[in-house]
Amino acid sequence: MDTEIKVFNRFQPFKVIIYIVCIFLAALSLFPFIIMIVNATRSTPEIQGTAVSLIPSKFLARNYEILVSKDMFDPIKGFINSVIISTGATLCAVYFSSLTAYAIVVYEWKLRRGFFTFIMAVMMIPGVVLSIGFYKMVYAVGLANNYLPLIIPSIAAPAIVFFMRQYMIPALPIEIIQSARIDGAGEFYTFNKIALPILKPAIATQGIMCFVQQWNNLFMPLILLTQKKMYTMPIMVSLLKGDIYKVEYGSVYLGLTLTVLPLFVVYFLLSKYIIAGIAVGSVKG
Amino acid sequence: MKRFIAALLCLAMIIGCLTACSSDEKDGGSGAKTENSGSESGDNGGSVAAPKADEKKVINLWAFTDEVPNMAKRYKELNPSFDYEIKETIIATTDGAYQPALDAALAAGGDDAPDMYCAEAAFILKYSQGDASQYAATYKDLGIDVDKMIADAAISDYSVAIGTRPSDNQVVALGYQATGGCFIYRRSIAKDTWGTDDPSTVQDKIGGGSGSWDKFFAAAEELKAKGYAICSGDGDIWHAVENSSDKGWLVDNKLYIDPKREEFLDLSKKLKDNGYHHDTQDWTEGWFADMKKDGGVLGFFGPAWLINYTLGQNCGSDAEGNNSFGDWAVCNSPIGFFWGGTWVLANKDSKAKNGVAELIKWITLDCSEKGLQYYWANGTLNGEGGTKDSVASGTVMSKSDGKLDFLGGQNMFDYFVPANKYANGKNLTQYDESINSLWRDAVRAYTGGTATRDEAIANFKQTVKDQLGID
Amino acid sequence: MKRKRVSYAKYGYIFSIPFVVTFLVCTLYPIIYTGVIGFTNLKGSTMAFSDAKFLPSLGQGLWDNFVDTLTAPTFHTALKNTVKMWVVNFVPQITLALILAAWFTNNQKKIKAQGFFKVVFYLPNIITAATIGILFANLFAYPKGVVNDILLQLGFIDSPFNFAISASAAQNSVSFMQFWTWYGNTMIVLIAGILGINPEMYEAAEIDGANGNQQFFYITIPNLKTMLLYTLVTSLIGGMQMFDIPRVFLNGQPQNSTLTASLFIYTQAFSGSYQYNKASAASLIMFVIISVLSAVVFFMLRDKDEIKLHKIIKQQEREYRKKVKLAKQQLLKEGR
Repeated sequence: MDTEIKVFNRFQPFKVIIYIVCIFLAALSLFPFIIMIVNATRSTPEIQGTAVSLIPSKFLARNYEILVSKDMFDPIKGFINSVIISTGATLCAVYFSSLTAYAIVVYEWKLRRGFFTFIMAVMMIPGVVLSIGFYKMVYAVGLANNYLPLIIPSIAAPAIVFFMRQYMIPALPIEIIQSARIDGAGEFYTFNKIALPILKPAIATQGIMCFVQQWNNLFMPLILLTQKKMYTMPIMVSLLKGDIYKVEYGSVYLGLTLTVLPLFVVYFLLSKYIIAGIAVGSVKG
Repeated sequence: MKRFIAALLCLAMIIGCLTACSSDEKDGGSGAKTENSGSESGDNGGSVAAPKADEKKVINLWAFTDEVPNMAKRYKELNPSFDYEIKETIIATTDGAYQPALDAALAAGGDDAPDMYCAEAAFILKYSQGDASQYAATYKDLGIDVDKMIADAAISDYSVAIGTRPSDNQVVALGYQATGGCFIYRRSIAKDTWGTDDPSTVQDKIGGGSGSWDKFFAAAEELKAKGYAICSGDGDIWHAVENSSDKGWLVDNKLYIDPKREEFLDLSKKLKDNGYHHDTQDWTEGWFADMKKDGGVLGFFGPAWLINYTLGQNCGSDAEGNNSFGDWAVCNSPIGFFWGGTWVLANKDSKAKNGVAELIKWITLDCSEKGLQYYWANGTLNGEGGTKDSVASGTVMSKSDGKLDFLGGQNMFDYFVPANKYANGKNLTQYDESINSLWRDAVRAYTGGTATRDEAIANFKQTVKDQLGID
Repeated sequence: MKRKRVSYAKYGYIFSIPFVVTFLVCTLYPIIYTGVIGFTNLKGSTMAFSDAKFLPSLGQGLWDNFVDTLTAPTFHTALKNTVKMWVVNFVPQITLALILAAWFTNNQKKIKAQGFFKVVFYLPNIITAATIGILFANLFAYPKGVVNDILLQLGFIDSPFNFAISASAAQNSVSFMQFWTWYGNTMIVLIAGILGINPEMYEAAEIDGANGNQQFFYITIPNLKTMLLYTLVTSLIGGMQMFDIPRVFLNGQPQNSTLTASLFIYTQAFSGSYQYNKASAASLIMFVIISVLSAVVFFMLRDKDEIKLHKIIKQQEREYRKKVKLAKQQLLKEGR
């Protein structure tokens, strides 16, 4: 740390540039959201007049009225439906992914390396390939308008298994498991009572990210849920946008804001876990 | 972990409840009342055999806007004895999700299948005549004496033609609107340019009813000198071009570019190069902004619904002093056309046919003063002062009043009713939604200078072939 | 000893059952279904799978759908676009992420409010692509839109610019959105990578008088190689599947310039004449392309990870044996 003084002066102007860049990027990241939130309080004519404004207007209540009056957008119902699907899928994903990762890390079985390679391969399957077949299948077995086809598939979440495995290798000492065995604990009991608590931080991270992903999911719910009372938040927003005969920009922005708001709250409350968690593995971009 | 499992169990229970809901509602009362209690048209001819009582009291209604579901709801309010529960499914067409979802639901069948569904002009042919027409019930099978009622209500021929299934020559779909189009212009801009806002003069200036665009462009030049645009974007004249062409996109299952549609390339280019329009794209913010007082655009092409749903909604507000309300009038378009419309169909396997029949009859064929179309034409469906629209029944139109404050008191039916003669189903295909979008893109590339005329057409043909599977 | 391990091994299978069963039903079956469709004439919105016929039985070649797709100019365009938009997004993304990661981990510069910046840079990633698409479509609107308003007021342009008509502008907009959504994520991955580098290396370099740039190029970059390659390939895989943003933003237009491979497949399957068969063939072709790329990932990931894993396994085995031995001895002792 004593070298710090030596280089301190040299880096000073550079530091200003760094802050300018960072502040610019932060503004870039926040700008669209600020516009979205501000526009949620503005009337459609105002938005059509000038699309950008940082000054909130007074039409929030009216936009909400319009939003709800369409009889398609029921924020409370949508919220509950979204919570049910997202929570269900998240619980399934983290619990079973942990279990699968546990199977790969803790036990030595013949197929385990092949199995792991296979899971990695599954991660690379393009989503579009799946959607056509899955959608046809769900309709064929009559499970449309049911939350199960939206929740169950997340039991097989290869990306989370991969993440959990990476986390488990250093974090779950085999000795603990062995001592539990010596104490006579069953394998399933050991997983639930001993391994899971140790994995808590990883579960939290993946849980949050999985929840966010599920919450944002539009395509599958849109084609699998056809009854209004089962609609999720994103479906409701997409409907509002689609009703081209009566474009109500203020309400659309408000709808978007309402969908994003719960995510913002979760994100800012738990950002530490999320930031810590991304590092280990995410496949996309 | 107990909590974990408990949570999972709870969840399973919730899901169980929610899925159970969808099935436990179907066994309501079984003594179905089949005669239509609400409509007083009394045209329920005796020749049609009385259908069996309905097995279920739930009507699954599929639509792409809330329009028809709201009608059904209103019908229930007006007729308390109509004891069906309406379950609506609304999926917007803009996300391209409506058709695949509807197709899948129709194919899957069962109690959750649509009993009644709607289709827009852009894809109605698929459901009334094309691939998916096999699912539709004929109106006759619903117990509707369809021929007599069509005659009595004087339903527009094109609405019937589009809704007739060729395989058995039976009516399976009918609309409630008439969507013949006119030119809807700003009085103040007409006055400023030509000294009068009289429809017949303006019509003469823009060549209304002339069947050619020549005078329209001459008028555009005059307007340009005054600093106005004649229309907002090329999308405005596209609908006039599209639905006045002689043939649709498909002839003998091959892609066909009608000369009138091909000419749209040149029309669009001319508008753009001379600065006759604001170069907006329809259904975008710039387009809506041009409907306001300061829009600076002479007019828009459209059927009566455009006034209520689009111009009326986007004409600005008094609060900002930018309101064009009342500053509008209607005259004939240089080229006659029609645009849009919603058709209503029933599923042949529906177990609630009587209920569906009752609704469909009320919406599409009832020409009494208690029929949907009378309310619709006079804007009285949900009480006085609602939006007025041009409807399919000539009988209803003849006794309805199309005076609108929005048009400065002009009776819009004077122009919209005659315009219906341009409407026909001959230039529609079941692929219109997709192909139109690609064609409009090609035209934009040409007018924007990013492709030559030949390149634009070649790219268009190639994309249609590769993406849509049409040679 | 061996027998004992075998008895535990069965739990490896048991605990994998939920994953495998779900995978078989919800992933593999749909994929095979898709695969089979690729060899049939299944087309049209209402044709049932049971009515579909294999192409040879109709006198056509078995691989016709694949050949058609591979020779379709629009598919070539889509592939080219996908790669182009990915490259234009990835190069600045990795560069910026690397620079930011270097800044944030440099303990000489001591950037303040790091936590805030990280959280905010990552923020766009949690928002659904549909929302981003709608937002940006409005921002880039023509002739009146946020970006045009700003550019006009700053005097960069004289008349509004139509982003939706210029192929390159539309592609760059999509690339920008991808960049904007993902650079925060990449940055955080790279920060983790840099923090994993042995700090002693930097200390030694400082004693030798290496400046910040030298440290970056001679220590950070070489040690970050695996991480950078991992980022590159995973991003490529994600990029090859780019779908939501181009679809919501301009739906492939203008002139197919924002048409990606996934969007091409989707349009084939769910519009026009509903060519499920060709869309399936195109899906399988994409699957092959992506698999080849994945093979590259494996190859690179295996180096370090697998070796590490092997070591751990070996070590575990050793310790396990030791433990068993100890336990046996203890038992023997107690028994005595």
